[in-house]
Amino acid sequence: MDEILNNSIDDLNGRYLTFYIAEAIYGLELKHVIEIIKMEPITPVPNVAYYIKGIINLRGKIVPVIDVRTKFSLEGVPYDDKTCIIVVVINDMQVGLIVDQVSEVVSAEQAVLTTPPTAGGNNASKYLSSIATFGNRVVLNIDCERFFMSDLGSGALY
Amino acid sequence: MSSIDPSMENMLETFIYESTSLLDELDEIMLDSEKSKSISEKNINEIFRIMHTIKGSAAMMGLETLSNFAHVVEDVFFILREDPSKLNLVMDTLFDLLFQAEDFIKAELDAIQGDGNGPDQDPSELMKKLEAQVDIMNGTAPSQSKDPAPAADTQPAAPEAPAAPSDGEHKPASLSGNGFHQIRVFFEDGCQMENIRGFMLLTQLKDYCDELESVPANPQNDANLCNEIIKNGFLVRFKTSGNPEDVIKVIESSVNIKSYEVLESQPDPEPAQEEQPQAVTSQPAPAAAPEPQPQSQAVPKQEPASSSLPKVPKQNLINVNQVKLDQLMDLVGEIVTAESMVSSNPDLKGLQLDNFYKSTRELRKLTDELQDVVMSIRMVPLSGVFQKMNRIVRDMSKKLNKDVELDIIGGDTEVDKTINDSLSDPLMHMIRNSVDHAIEPPEERQALGKPVTGKVTLSAQNIGGEIVITIADDGCGLDREKLLKKARENGLLTKPESDYTDKEVFGLIMLPGFSTNTAVTEYSGRGVGMDVVRKNIEKVGGTVNIDSTLHEGTTFTVKIPLTLAIVDGMEISVGGTIFTLPITSIKQSFKISDQTPILHNTDGTEMIMLRETCYPIIRLYELFNMPNAVTNLEDGIIIQIEYGDRVGCIFADELIGEQQVVVKPFPLFLSHYNIKDCGLSGCTILGDGSISLILDANSLLKSYER
Repeated sequence: MDEILNNSIDDLNGRYLTFYIAEAIYGLELKHVIEIIKMEPITPVPNVAYYIKGIINLRGKIVPVIDVRTKFSLEGVPYDDKTCIIVVVINDMQVGLIVDQVSEVVSAEQAVLTTPPTAGGNNASKYLSSIATFGNRVVLNIDCERFFMSDLGSGALY
Repeated sequence: MSSIDPSMENMLETFIYESTSLLDELDEIMLDSEKSKSISEKNINEIFRIMHTIKGSAAMMGLETLSNFAHVVEDVFFILREDPSKLNLVMDTLFDLLFQAEDFIKAELDAIQGDGNGPDQDPSELMKKLEAQVDIMNGTAPSQSKDPAPAADTQPAAPEAPAAPSDGEHKPASLSGNGFHQIRVFFEDGCQMENIRGFMLLTQLKDYCDELESVPANPQNDANLCNEIIKNGFLVRFKTSGNPEDVIKVIESSVNIKSYEVLESQPDPEPAQEEQPQAVTSQPAPAAAPEPQPQSQAVPKQEPASSSLPKVPKQNLINVNQVKLDQLMDLVGEIVTAESMVSSNPDLKGLQLDNFYKSTRELRKLTDELQDVVMSIRMVPLSGVFQKMNRIVRDMSKKLNKDVELDIIGGDTEVDKTINDSLSDPLMHMIRNSVDHAIEPPEERQALGKPVTGKVTLSAQNIGGEIVITIADDGCGLDREKLLKKARENGLLTKPESDYTDKEVFGLIMLPGFSTNTAVTEYSGRGVGMDVVRKNIEKVGGTVNIDSTLHEGTTFTVKIPLTLAIVDGMEISVGGTIFTLPITSIKQSFKISDQTPILHNTDGTEMIMLRETCYPIIRLYELFNMPNAVTNLEDGIIIQIEYGDRVGCIFADELIGEQQVVVKPFPLFLSHYNIKDCGLSGCTILGDGSISLILDANSLLKSYER
């Protein structure tokens, strides 16, 4: 039983779910991902960070959703039928991430990994853990811990 | 502390729960008895029973320290039970000792509950003192002897006495040498499951023996062995490199053992002996005669309680894990939501469905009933929490040399279990504060012309969906000047001193880092008290109010909602979003016409005049920054809300209707944002699956004040 469990976790390690934000492909470690759902009506909540769009009802569970575009300081676009919410789990809490479009699951083994530059770039680059190159495609891998740092730390952003 | 037998771990929770409730019971009896300065015969029996049960179950759990200790306490009450008149001999010291004993057992239980390696307490001193009481009552020690030392080896009439001398007798006879020892054990008549009891005994003995076997072997596997064990006894054969006496002690301390006899030890056992132990022992077999045999050194186990105990009526109570109740509550919440999802499904609009609506009405009735029942399961009376306060007041008044009496009113008021649990700490703090700071020493009280005995009143009552708990003392009261001075020193004042109303000044004591008492005592004065009290109470949705008159006393009023989970709400819409407002906080709602005077405060906020009183108007769409809402006051609706003594009006687009909603907290992820400070207490899922935010009158009105 343990072995199976370990194997399945091993399977998740090194694999990424890729999605589009403003033409760029980002990757999210698969072990954080719970499910992908289509866009749902969001109930706004006052007094929270600007990129937290509100809360949704995920089968009886109240889950906050973050607009990744806004979080990356990119201009928001109207949500369409390709817009998805990726539900991830961080520190045992579920959070929804609104992304432009979900692409596919890739394995890091087949890719050439490089570390992201420490200086420059837009707001998104400070959340990156690595940059993977698959042939002619480039996937920017997001470090979940850093991505949620401002929400998990003691200081709240307004 | 003795470690717990691994095989017993699953019973640990039950053991701790049982023992804790027994101790609570004991606490109550002791406090009552101390008040009346005597222990009634019924109570002596009761205490004896409690100690006996703790002793027994502790031994079963393999907690030797605890069981030995409980045994000593039991001894004391054994004598008292035989002759209650002896109580006078030990009256003075007995109560304190018993309270100490109770604390010791509590601490042991806590330690077990913790990491299992709690502080290793040494009960021997306390045990000696208790034994000394036994001696005093038996007349073997000078009455009121302060020196418990001689008690240690003289206890001829103690209940365990018959065992003591026989110990000396059989030791050389049977327990010397390293061969196999044999002990035949007889369980109490009618104790049932003899085979399992035998197995448990073996498990207990395992640690003491190098080799261990029993006749019949592996008793746990066959329930049919019960009769054999009843008839022939349970034979334990063991070999130990340690002291065989230890094994005897374990057997002695086990529950449900009527008697045991030590058979001759065998230097070289043969297989046949295992089958027919009667044949090889020189003693006649105790065939069907569980009575101690004259030749064998049988030691009747002291179980005097079993026969004379009053039969406790069978209780129809079961203990349920709270997690399960929480799950049940969640489920009922889901059902309530699902029910309204079905009955007000948008697909049904415009359809003529008489039978369907008949059925949904029936369903509604049943879910309502189910909800009521589940809620009532979670309700527990406050008396448990209140009872603890008795003890605190008693201990503190002894230690601080104050004369304080605690008056408890309305302990049978019931609240939700979650709330009940979170009330214990704040109440304890407030009671401590009252006894420590407010109640003056007796001499001072006399000089002030107050009754020498200080009085703290703890009362609870159910007022309109809320529980109101007051803690009132007749102590020195809060000194406005002193409080202001202290606040000034700590830089806690935000406006000129003369602007502070008395209420606001009293509220200062609930700020973090505020303590008026210069001397830090064991009980209070570190300034971490009242702000924690307020936080804890606010966590369950309650409020604290302070009222005080200098030299006359202080009253804390704690208001908490009856239950947290389900509220009756009024749905109101603002700019397309639906909010839920608890009905308990609505005073009235009305439309206004052109003629209604709207006043404007100097800072531009609007006020409305209702029956000669001015109330602020809070426009919800402004507060929550919502577009598309009705902005003209005449087109929307005004709802007058109140919380405590604050009253105000909110402005919304329209009222939609009344619905019961299940309160869900905001996701943990958002806990860093102060959502609750801007007028929302949680959220709920409506019948159509959409989320509605629940308005909180308290913080709405507070946010306006800021």
